[in-house]
Amino acid sequence: MASMEIDSEKTHERKQSDYTCLQDERFEIQKEMYRGQQYSQIYFARLHLMRTLLYSLAPSWKPHLPVCKVLGLEEGKECIIVGTLFKHMKLKPCVLDEYSKERSVTPLVKPRNFMHPDDSLILEDESGRVKLGGSALSPAVYVTGVVVALHGKETSAGEFVVEDVLEAGLPPQLERPLDHLKEDKYVLLVSGLSIGSNSSNPLLFQLLVDHITGHVADDEELGLAAQIVHVVIAGNSVEFPRKLLTGQNMASKDQSTLYEPIKELDIMLNQIAAGVSVDIMPGLNDPANFALPQQPLNRCLFPGSAPYNTFRSCTNPHSFDVDNIRFLGTSGQNIDDLDKYSEAESKLDFVERTLRWRHLAPTAPNTLGCYPFTDRDPFLIETCPHVYFVGNQDKYDNRLVKGSEGQLVRLICIPKFCETGVAVAVNLRNLECHTRSFNIQL
Amino acid sequence: MATTAKNMKGFYKQTKSNITGGISKSKPSSRKVSPKHAATQGSDATQPAALISHGSLDVKGTLLLRKDYNFSFSIVMCLISNALVLMEFNDCNGYDEKEEMLRQFDMNMAYGPCVGMTRVDRWERALRLGMNPPNEIERLLKTEKVQQDCLWQGRV
Repeated sequence: MASMEIDSEKTHERKQSDYTCLQDERFEIQKEMYRGQQYSQIYFARLHLMRTLLYSLAPSWKPHLPVCKVLGLEEGKECIIVGTLFKHMKLKPCVLDEYSKERSVTPLVKPRNFMHPDDSLILEDESGRVKLGGSALSPAVYVTGVVVALHGKETSAGEFVVEDVLEAGLPPQLERPLDHLKEDKYVLLVSGLSIGSNSSNPLLFQLLVDHITGHVADDEELGLAAQIVHVVIAGNSVEFPRKLLTGQNMASKDQSTLYEPIKELDIMLNQIAAGVSVDIMPGLNDPANFALPQQPLNRCLFPGSAPYNTFRSCTNPHSFDVDNIRFLGTSGQNIDDLDKYSEAESKLDFVERTLRWRHLAPTAPNTLGCYPFTDRDPFLIETCPHVYFVGNQDKYDNRLVKGSEGQLVRLICIPKFCETGVAVAVNLRNLECHTRSFNIQL
Repeated sequence: MATTAKNMKGFYKQTKSNITGGISKSKPSSRKVSPKHAATQGSDATQPAALISHGSLDVKGTLLLRKDYNFSFSIVMCLISNALVLMEFNDCNGYDEKEEMLRQFDMNMAYGPCVGMTRVDRWERALRLGMNPPNEIERLLKTEKVQQDCLWQGRV
């Protein structure tokens, strides 16, 4: 790309990389036509595909046990059943509560997490449901929509006591070419720019842009910037002034105030796109559809940046390859939803769980908006990524996960840039990552 | 209907499969039954409506043979044949064996829920998911003039 010339003999040229984005096709819904179907179709597709997988894993897990359907359970017979988990939660808000005869006092402040000690799990397949008991399966860890295989037996009370659980585990991973990169190349991940919000400082984002494009005075920093081969903006790039959206007709003055954030974002993206390839993903607050998979932000929103072929508007979730390293990431809605309906010590535990369950967003469509696909579930993770990132989290965190078949995945929680000023850089050579923080002290 | 029930056993088998699909729906569908059918429905228990509408000698003959069976049996037969009548009058536009086969395909749980998809789409989904759906169904749906929507379309 462009070489930066400054007052030294050394010129820095940006490193090149191979970018392909073929997997995003399954997240696009342009070809889908809604025919009045219900969500039962996507649950069926999910159960069928996961069950085929679990049936193939069951013999090596517990070789001597028969596999049967829920309806075929006999009392006292030890067997393996495969189905979708449903978590019955007392505190989960239900739309029917509005119509209940007894008006209990509803708390004014919505609880952040809907868990309760009385939550119970139920396993369901197309033949029936069975209540799950025993201590092997903790309702605090699991959520509705996960497909698992369970080993146990039915009691006289009609409950299935679980002795052991089989999750799908990490999917197979494409081989990372062993010695392919002799030099450090970085992919920069940033999210939560929130341009237009009260808490965002435009100077902070400008600093980031200057760093990426190399408009810096320091030679060392210029060297760092030249090693960035790709930038991904993982959601929540703008925040619209919601008070203007009253449902009434808007005055033209308000209309121009409304799209100020997008115009500002476009100017910044223009600067980035001129120097390096950049992907922008929609998030919860962005002008895209609500239900997952979120469709790419319209190119008309970015009249300055769209003409560049380095600028790409992508879906959420987003999957791409850079130099044969597979990246997979979301803007955070899937993990935030897991946080509301289950618990873990850190957000990375949720991320790791979704990988082990082989499903990006198991709570969709139960509590997370989702398109009612009929013949597939696009959130099933078929190939293990090398880097799995989640945007818009509270703080930066990362973990290296090793799979049973030698898979190696770097899990990354990208913090909100407007609050922390932190962007994450992933080294393609060894999957290590570090933060690049920007600070303004006035 | 009557032609497919040449013997008593066949007749009985036919009604059973209809009942699983039909009894739950017979309540709303009975509203659609026009008054003249209602009259036949309320006819004398010993002369079930089915016999009158079928007009087939075989059925009549076999029922006469079983006149010596106990009372409850004939009651059961009335109920069954009444249900049969309702089913028949509901789908009198070409409810034949092809449609029967397609309905069995709709009801088959292995291929997933049928509501909200056309039969062709469901067949193709079954094919893509590796379930080996019978080719006969595809042939019927694509080459012959049969109902493309599933059994419950518009009713649920």
